[in-house]
Amino acid sequence: MMSKYLYLSRMATKSIFIFFLVLSTVSFSQSDSCQYQFSGKLLDIDTKDPIPFATVKIQGSEKATQTDGKGQFILENLCEEEHTLIISCFGYCDSICEANHQHGSAPPIYLHKKVEQLDKVIIEAEEIKERGTESIAQTDIDKIEIKKDRTKSLASLISDQQGVTLISMGSNVQLPVIHGLYGNRILILNNGFKHGFQNWGREHAPEIDISSADNITVVKGAAGVRFGAEALGGAIIVNANPLHFRESLYADVGAGFQTNGQGINTNIEVGAGLDKWSYFINGNFTKIGDRFAPDYSLTNTGKEERAFSAGTRFKHKKIDVKLYYSYVDQNLGMLRSSIAHSGNAFVLAINGEQPTFIKPFSYEINAPNQLTTHHLGKVEANWHYKKDSKLTFRSGFQLNKRQEYDIRIESEKPVIDLNLITTDYQLEWKHPDWFKLDGIIGIQYFNQNNDNNPGTGATPFIPNYNTNRGSFYVLESKKLERTSLEAGIRIDYELNNVRGREPNQEIFRDEYAFTNVTSSAGLVRHLTENSTFRFNIGTAWRTPNMAELYSFGQHGFKTSFGLLRYYQNEEGIFKTDRVLELVESGAKPENGYKLINELEVRTKKTKHVFTPYMNYIRNFIFDRPLAVIGTVRGPMPVFIFDQTDAIFIGADYSFVSDFSEDINGVFRISYLWSKNIKDNEVLINQPPISLNYRLNWNKEKLWIFENSRLSITPSYTFHQFQAPRTVPPEDLISGIESVTPNSEIFDFKDAPEGYFLLNLSLHTNYRNLKLGINATNLLNTDYRDYLNEMRYFADEPGTNVMFTLNYSFKKR
Amino acid sequence: MRKINNLALIAALGGVLFVTSCKKDEVAPEEENVVEIFTDVKLVFTNTADASDKVEARAQDPDGTGVEELTILDDITLDTSKTYTLTYEIFNNLNTPGENIGAEILEEDNEHQFFFTFSNNAFANPVGNGNIDNAADPINYNDTDENNHPVGLSTQWTTPSTQLTGGTFTVRLQHQPDVKTGTSGSSDGDTDFDLTFVLNIQ
Repeated sequence: MMSKYLYLSRMATKSIFIFFLVLSTVSFSQSDSCQYQFSGKLLDIDTKDPIPFATVKIQGSEKATQTDGKGQFILENLCEEEHTLIISCFGYCDSICEANHQHGSAPPIYLHKKVEQLDKVIIEAEEIKERGTESIAQTDIDKIEIKKDRTKSLASLISDQQGVTLISMGSNVQLPVIHGLYGNRILILNNGFKHGFQNWGREHAPEIDISSADNITVVKGAAGVRFGAEALGGAIIVNANPLHFRESLYADVGAGFQTNGQGINTNIEVGAGLDKWSYFINGNFTKIGDRFAPDYSLTNTGKEERAFSAGTRFKHKKIDVKLYYSYVDQNLGMLRSSIAHSGNAFVLAINGEQPTFIKPFSYEINAPNQLTTHHLGKVEANWHYKKDSKLTFRSGFQLNKRQEYDIRIESEKPVIDLNLITTDYQLEWKHPDWFKLDGIIGIQYFNQNNDNNPGTGATPFIPNYNTNRGSFYVLESKKLERTSLEAGIRIDYELNNVRGREPNQEIFRDEYAFTNVTSSAGLVRHLTENSTFRFNIGTAWRTPNMAELYSFGQHGFKTSFGLLRYYQNEEGIFKTDRVLELVESGAKPENGYKLINELEVRTKKTKHVFTPYMNYIRNFIFDRPLAVIGTVRGPMPVFIFDQTDAIFIGADYSFVSDFSEDINGVFRISYLWSKNIKDNEVLINQPPISLNYRLNWNKEKLWIFENSRLSITPSYTFHQFQAPRTVPPEDLISGIESVTPNSEIFDFKDAPEGYFLLNLSLHTNYRNLKLGINATNLLNTDYRDYLNEMRYFADEPGTNVMFTLNYSFKKR
Repeated sequence: MRKINNLALIAALGGVLFVTSCKKDEVAPEEENVVEIFTDVKLVFTNTADASDKVEARAQDPDGTGVEELTILDDITLDTSKTYTLTYEIFNNLNTPGENIGAEILEEDNEHQFFFTFSNNAFANPVGNGNIDNAADPINYNDTDENNHPVGLSTQWTTPSTQLTGGTFTVRLQHQPDVKTGTSGSSDGDTDFDLTFVLNIQ
């Protein structure tokens, strides 16, 4: 399934009419005016030779271009999402267009020499950046990339992008990190709505099935005006099937097998588009057993996932309506050896050569594990009431159910059992041209209702709460000759009502509200024909999340107290005997200011992209050591959440070079420096320097295979030189090392050594069959990843070879 | 006119969804019986010859997971040349009434085992210094689980005729799901509690 389509309809003798749709990355701004561009390539169907000097014209406009010597063409500054292309090409004009299914920014359109009947041509149009974020550095991941390994998590898929890494709790729970920030500081937008999940700590990954995604955009700046508060570090935008009209019935069937964990995956998608109605359904199933590290099995790291989604779209006169539903059901195993509730057990687990618990391979998933289901229902209506304006209404409903099981007394009961209901209403007006200003004005209402289900035998770690947020925003852009300017402002009012239980089961309540302003300004300037400069400065804010406010006691192997769970009495002694009200505690929302620039320079055979950035966060919430206290389980270190000011400065650089027509290479390096500037100390869990090189070999035709691509990717991740000092837990327990509220931040184990990995992938097509082999950690390297919490207990998985097959059925 | 109709359609659609989601509830989570947190552990030594002759020693962490320190409230002071049965009262007293966790441990006795260490040869039986350092060392368990492995909710101790002052007595309860075997030791699994008392024999 491609995201963008180009259709041929029955043609006149001298030209081919191609109808194409260009949809923007985000479903809710489809008709950005004059921001689209479209590129393609004309080839002879038989000889695969380029067709030069053909005229490509937009029907009903003056816009036209000619293909160059390689058959390539580009049309820029297109104002509408739907166009008809007229291709006039001498000698080919009375010919057939075969159905094609190609990929890339310049996919070929094949032309035959004789006309008998016309069929559909599907090509992809290059995407132009999303409204309001055009000046922010961003990258896209398309369906082809997603299909390569459907078993991946969202974070793992996008971690391949420049400046993006992942932070994890093993192979199944992975969160994206953009320029050092993760969790609540990254906004995840699923189908136009903030993904409503238990987004606290780093133990919870977004329950999004990537196989139902059509494309994913990673916005690396403070994109909060457009997408909502919380986007301090950036935003990840996941779009589902765009439901194009005029698309003949198709069915894609895929299957995969992976060696590590003996995982299987199957997927099916069926869809069709008529003139005014379209639909799709998609199903996905994944089952993976225990993964293995080079030297041992990682017991209880299996995963099971079922996903289903369906959508339909219909158009009546000027109204265009989309309905969408998706469902994800996951059972995620967590490494059994990562459980240590006592100091003794933690010391043993962290210091062992091998994990403490190794059993033979199994598909079985036992405690500790997470069972989650996520439902999303969506209605979107676009009213194109005038040619250059439209009104969009969008409503979403999400139900997120989460149960977590732990190794404990009564382990058959979930220790966490939550239902989270999220409801969104959005109304957006794309206004007509005002003084050459192009823009949108929107209002949004967001409601979240979290409830604990009874029967856990544990004091609720997260209280019941209701969040109500109303927002208003304006985004405007102006195009000058070589510069585009954009600016936006957003106002949010948020009210939270909280009800929880103290450890003695007494009820506490609180209600608090915030009003905050988010703003952004930026420009894109085409310095020369071959170089572009982007500049964006944005602000963002977020309310401290429920875990940062209310967590208490032990979770995993760490005992920590939220901002409202501790205070100092008159003697300066830390107390945790009651829950504070937010007003009393002085806890404040985080405020972020992110500046991001991007310079892109292209020559005939190279492309350089340099992206420096700086992010300053006021009231940055983090946890710091408090003391070692005696408990019935033995002495345990205790942490508290605190607020400070932090700064993040870094840069990403990539260099693409074309060695020949078939071979190109991409070199990338990312560097980040960060600091807690209030206490003048380092921050924990920040991504280390990483560099990689990808060598691609592309062959359009190789024997019976088409569009073959072989990639070899060596990469090196450095030791994190900026990690905090190490204090082994045994030194804390024995009292060799004492901890006070003024102690410098520490980690329990040294940051792991740097490591070299080699990945290889091979993808090719035979008619409608796509074949893929993806091998990761080919050298079976023993290594631990600094951003994986399991690094305390076990090595990362060893070699994995993933085989995938995809077959596309098409109605001819 | 058509515009108005269209707008009405959108508004109606929105209205329906809005009404369905705007229920107000401000319910607190329900009360839970928490068995994972121990605030009070009492060791009860009962003279096997005289059930009314009891020696009790308490350890208390009044706020459970809070930052308040654990306190050992009593010494264990036993008489010479007597045989005692050691049992426990284990409670989470954050709950009212307190939650008896001993019952939960009995229910899951195939996942639990008590281990001990004490001043060398403090007892006439068992001899030695207990089985925390070496699981095979002698301890007189009175109970076994379904797999015939010792549990330790009840153990037997015989004091010598000699006196002891200021000795130590450590009891450790290990939680060993899928780990407990005939040879598993005091480091296997996780620690539910680990308490050291002063031991006197007079």
